[in-house]
Amino acid sequence: MDTRLETMRQSVRDGDHKQWRRQITVDIVPECERENLSWVRRSARLTRRMCEAEQVVIGPTERIVFTRTIPVVPSLYSPSAWRAVTAGRKLHEMGPISNICADWRMVLEQGLLGRRAAAQAAREKFAADPQSVEFLDAAIETIDAVLALADRYARTARERGRDDLAAILQHVPGRRPRSFHEALQCLRLCHAVLWMSGHYHCGLGRFDQYMWPYLQADLESGRLDEPEAEALLAEFFITLNKDSDLYPGVQQGDNGQSLMLGGVRRDGSCGVNRLTYMALRAALDVSMIDPKINLRVTPDTDMCLLELAAKLTQRGLGFPQYSNDDVVIPGLVRHGYDLEDARDYSVAACWEYIIPGKGMDVVNIGAVSMPAAVHRGIVQGLRDGADFDAVLKCAADDISAQVKAVANTYHDLLLPPAPYYSVLMDGCLERGRDLSHGLRYNNYGVHGAASSSAADALAAVKRMVFDRNEVSGAELLEALDRDYDGFETLQSRLRTEAPKVGNHDDMVDSLLVWLFEQFAQACESYGDNGRGGLLRPGSGSAMYYVWLAQGHQGMSEPVVGATADGRRRGEYFSSNLAPSAGVRVRGPISVLQTYSKLDYSRICNGGPVTIELADSVFRDAGAIRRVAMLIRTFAQLGCQQLQLNTLNVETLEDAKRHPERHKNLIVRVWGWSGYFCELAPEYQDQIVERHVYALGEPVIPVQVKEITRHESKTRIDATGCLPVVPDRLQRPDGTY
Amino acid sequence: MTTGTIFDIREFTVHDGPGIRTTVFLKGCPLRCAWCHNPEGFVRQPQTMVTPAGRRVVGQDMSAEELAGILNRQAEVLAANEGGVTFSGGEPLTQAEFLVAVIDRLEGIHVLLDTSGCADAHDFRSIVQRCDLVFFDLKLMDPALHRHFTGQDNGPILANLRQLAGLGVPYVVRVPLVPGITDTEANLTAIAEAIRSLSGLVGVNLLAYNRAAGGKYPGLGMTFEPTWDETQPVNASLAPFVAVGLDATVLGLRDHEGK
Repeated sequence: MDTRLETMRQSVRDGDHKQWRRQITVDIVPECERENLSWVRRSARLTRRMCEAEQVVIGPTERIVFTRTIPVVPSLYSPSAWRAVTAGRKLHEMGPISNICADWRMVLEQGLLGRRAAAQAAREKFAADPQSVEFLDAAIETIDAVLALADRYARTARERGRDDLAAILQHVPGRRPRSFHEALQCLRLCHAVLWMSGHYHCGLGRFDQYMWPYLQADLESGRLDEPEAEALLAEFFITLNKDSDLYPGVQQGDNGQSLMLGGVRRDGSCGVNRLTYMALRAALDVSMIDPKINLRVTPDTDMCLLELAAKLTQRGLGFPQYSNDDVVIPGLVRHGYDLEDARDYSVAACWEYIIPGKGMDVVNIGAVSMPAAVHRGIVQGLRDGADFDAVLKCAADDISAQVKAVANTYHDLLLPPAPYYSVLMDGCLERGRDLSHGLRYNNYGVHGAASSSAADALAAVKRMVFDRNEVSGAELLEALDRDYDGFETLQSRLRTEAPKVGNHDDMVDSLLVWLFEQFAQACESYGDNGRGGLLRPGSGSAMYYVWLAQGHQGMSEPVVGATADGRRRGEYFSSNLAPSAGVRVRGPISVLQTYSKLDYSRICNGGPVTIELADSVFRDAGAIRRVAMLIRTFAQLGCQQLQLNTLNVETLEDAKRHPERHKNLIVRVWGWSGYFCELAPEYQDQIVERHVYALGEPVIPVQVKEITRHESKTRIDATGCLPVVPDRLQRPDGTY
Repeated sequence: MTTGTIFDIREFTVHDGPGIRTTVFLKGCPLRCAWCHNPEGFVRQPQTMVTPAGRRVVGQDMSAEELAGILNRQAEVLAANEGGVTFSGGEPLTQAEFLVAVIDRLEGIHVLLDTSGCADAHDFRSIVQRCDLVFFDLKLMDPALHRHFTGQDNGPILANLRQLAGLGVPYVVRVPLVPGITDTEANLTAIAEAIRSLSGLVGVNLLAYNRAAGGKYPGLGMTFEPTWDETQPVNASLAPFVAVGLDATVLGLRDHEGK
């Protein structure tokens, strides 16, 4: 990146743009009540008033503009009225439609004026249907609001002598972009207005596919060369980091600005293009938490592309996250997706697969606690003096009951109208129907959380109690009841002698496979989810691996105490598809071989195999190629999704002690990356713990100072270790 | 049934040879290098070690069939990625019979032997002939210093090195750089002189000093007592090797110093 972009990047990190934020609240409730507006009209009014309230901000060197100045998204209703309109109905998370992806290809091709024409045509077609007319009027109101905002930007640009910008903003987002630059500006503005309208986890979809025609035309005509294009790309990526602290999420960084690269086209041919590479390089250059890069691969993906991706992995940002087309696409097809649409998949905020423009799937309605199900089976089975099959039967019944419980909660889901988002989706305007009424795909995603811990518990009981009669059921029950106090020898045996998931050991891996079969079976037999869709089981954990172990507000799943794998009360469960914390595994090959045994065609909601690499892996020439080979191996073995994280545990420890030295340290939290020093301490701790077990080093060569037993946190004395930040990662200013 | 003792199997050991490799660490070593970072490799018997993850037993008895079985399940992945299996330690040749039994059971896997060369000459030959590549560690050329810092004479080691040159198996000579001990110009020059005309030598690696070398000692109830300044930068001097026409590189590794 050149000096201009470096300065811009640092300025965004320093939050200089926040000076433009105004602590005013746009209150639309009085006018909505005065005009007695319906919900859909209120939503449109919100978008309009938010756009109108925005002040134009044009940085002197900015080539892609828009900086949000109104931080707060106001309510549509007074509190009492809100209670009345939502009474007895289930809202998803915060309410507004989230965690889907717009049809950016279509938006760019048609421009908002094209969308407006579509809305007008539909309005005439459905003139007899007042509901449609009202929706379409609302949609038009939002389009006009965005166009007016763009026009104000254009005029201000002209006044300030920025004719370059003025020309762009007079053209987009109204019309089809004439250049790559215009396409990026169009996307920036249209995407930002989604967040201003109260939507969140707004995906960026298959960026290298829908942007490529504009870039290709520029490159072929000579209007742009590759370095200029990469500079624009870098600036666009930087702009995505501007307002992201305003976006709702569990922690700063959890904002779902996911961007997909690579993969096949709708016709099945390879879609990798020059922009795929350029976007990876730009992400490497920018090295900020947004956008979150995803890369689609197959066993045959070009090694050059994988090596470039491995360089980004090396950077330690926690992305790219890899998805295997050969596994994901058939899984989606099996769940009712048309082949062409399945080929067009992207990810929602974290892992869950979504079809841009066509998916109104609610991809994360909750989780099934696999450890809770297994624990119940074990306790009940041992109490009854039953055999192992009875333990399994009880666990399977519990999984099924949990699936029903979480799905029943969402059977009467209330999705608020979303006229602006509808403008950006496939066919809403044409059908005269708001997005909230559903799209082509209306499935629900449920995650099977902490699966490895659950399988470990089953394996321990099977091996020690049933197969070898080395431990009596009564003794184990008492030990669990007492959280292993006074049963330390038994706990140690359960931890070390029983097989654990992650070592390519068929005995325990078959139990993991069995758990997911029961989970898939329960989802498949549930039937209609209440919105004409079905349930998609997945394998992610998000924070569930902590919450299910320690409890959390809003979690209805029971907290499980000590478990039969030797885990004590309160210790974290396994996250996503990863071995349980503290389990020694031989390395990533066995881990991938283990998780390749799952039938992903039945578990298509995503949820990655998660591997932490020690950064020492990258010290060698040839390391990039080896990591690229590892990614290829992930695809060759037939796993679905891979999250590959690189970090140095000493760096993390130092960052906790000296946050001022590590302001730009980025870590993967679950489906997203954030700045380590901006995370709450408990999040920092569990990330440190995760990395203590990083793969790639024989044993972490550090001295043990203190092991706290109950908290399962490890304190490490980094004295005598290598410098905390490897030189090759450092920039001249000491950041990286 | 031949049984051996291993203290670890690690996959994706990127510093242990070409491609994607799995390294088997065999327990037991005749040397006591003062800078060794794998002290659990010293004695053959299993030991209890305290690690950040808790107490665990290091050292596991395993039959040749069992170990070969584990490795053969990865054969396809290793072969597809230009890699294979590396036998390291400890000194793998202390369990020569076991090693032969394991290697003979491998199904088309590239085998790399990572050795100190401190072994019976017959065992050395017999195993090297079963390997595709050898990493041969050379520490100190001065006999007295070698005895002082490793507890053994370097005579048999140098004899095995000469033997290696006649076996037709390619090998890399690796020198762990310990500040002021092995990284002296005199020692590096002597090493370069000793290996300059050996046939079959495909490269020289100088391995940067592992400043965390002492990390595992307390966990084993042992004391790590460096007589050198650990903070001192190593003298990663390629000149003595370049001067005699050898292709040498420095690797900034932590894993393989101090065998």
